[in-house]
Amino acid sequence: MGGLDPSAERLLYPVYSALKMPLMIFATSIMCLPGYFALSTVLGLRNDLRAALRAIVSSQAAFAAVLASLAPMTAFIYANGASHRAALLTNGGMFCIATLAAQSILWRRYRPLLTRSSRHAFMLAFWLVSYVFVGIQMGWMLRPFIGTPGVAPSFFRGEPFSNAYVVVWGLVTGALGRS
Amino acid sequence: MTNVPFRAGAIVALDELLRGKLTDAKQVRMGMTPVRLFGPWALLLGATYGSFIAWYAIAGGAANAWWHLLYVMVKLPALFLLTLFVTFPSLYVFNALMGCGLGFRATLRLLVATIVVNLALAASLGPILAFFTVSTSSYTFIVLLNVALLGLAGMVSIAFLLRTLMKLQESEQTELDAAHGEAASRRSVTGMFFIWIITYALVGSQMGWLLRPFIGHPGQELTFLRPRSGSFVESVWNATAGQAKLQSVGR
Repeated sequence: MGGLDPSAERLLYPVYSALKMPLMIFATSIMCLPGYFALSTVLGLRNDLRAALRAIVSSQAAFAAVLASLAPMTAFIYANGASHRAALLTNGGMFCIATLAAQSILWRRYRPLLTRSSRHAFMLAFWLVSYVFVGIQMGWMLRPFIGTPGVAPSFFRGEPFSNAYVVVWGLVTGALGRS
Repeated sequence: MTNVPFRAGAIVALDELLRGKLTDAKQVRMGMTPVRLFGPWALLLGATYGSFIAWYAIAGGAANAWWHLLYVMVKLPALFLLTLFVTFPSLYVFNALMGCGLGFRATLRLLVATIVVNLALAASLGPILAFFTVSTSSYTFIVLLNVALLGLAGMVSIAFLLRTLMKLQESEQTELDAAHGEAASRRSVTGMFFIWIITYALVGSQMGWLLRPFIGHPGQELTFLRPRSGSFVESVWNATAGQAKLQSVGR
């Protein structure tokens, strides 16, 4: 993902991104797992917990594998002199492909569970909603991933943490106020 | 614990409660969810979620933030247990009048068990709250997130209570049918269930109002309790009426 910054420190971006991507996936899961575990237990699905977790981990592995397999293509696009905007779009596209692959694995692994009990549908919905909700904020906090040309590489942005949803809400209300 | 037929540890007991292994009809009547075991669990789990709520004041660098942490760790379980203390007599009387067949202690044990399930679920969602608290200065966002997380925990624990009452009803019906030798008239627990939920929710919302602040508004001083003024219903009414007035002025 990294590698666009032309400065002498540009090699730091790939290192940071290589650390931050697994951190984002792992930390998001850690946040969501206690609630998933407790809700599964109260809904009487504890006996299926192992199979459900296997489905979740498989989907995350698929996500990482697809993303890694697309890395040479990303590097190839960068090597062709992609602009910052093009790099953002490329990575957005790669993430979409990886997410679709992960979803397909998750649904395939979850299907036997869903036929066993309809309560698994609630748990699957809980997992997806909580994971996306926390994941978006985790990604926001761990940015920059790609790096902005002319800005020195850093692990975190040199500003206080902010909330992605509040920022988006501010942008939407600001745009509506202007129109 | 002498009357309790299991000797497992407290953690195993909590796990069995969450798995619904202590709330079959027979077990509810036998008292498999003793208050002396699950009461402390309610305190501990409530304090755990309360500590996550208080992170907002700590992350915001508010004065007395660490005292506020302690206050909320006391106040959150107090909110649930004091509400039960106030509502329990009426809940028990409704239960007796509607012929649900649960004794005084069995009713108390069942309701404490439901509170424990509610607080265990809330505590399990605490890491999500803590994570957002660290990165969010918006008070409104944190209030909405707390409402969503506590709402989810509340809904699932209400489903747990209803399921347990249904199991009790089925068991009683089977016993009645066997005693009469034919299908006896069916008793419904759902009416009593809704009375319980509405009573508990009304008293609980006012108790929450009395015990505020929990999150701690950045513009207000953090104290153990705010001065007594108004009520939860009154404040909601005023906010709604105020909003309606603003909209009519806007037109």
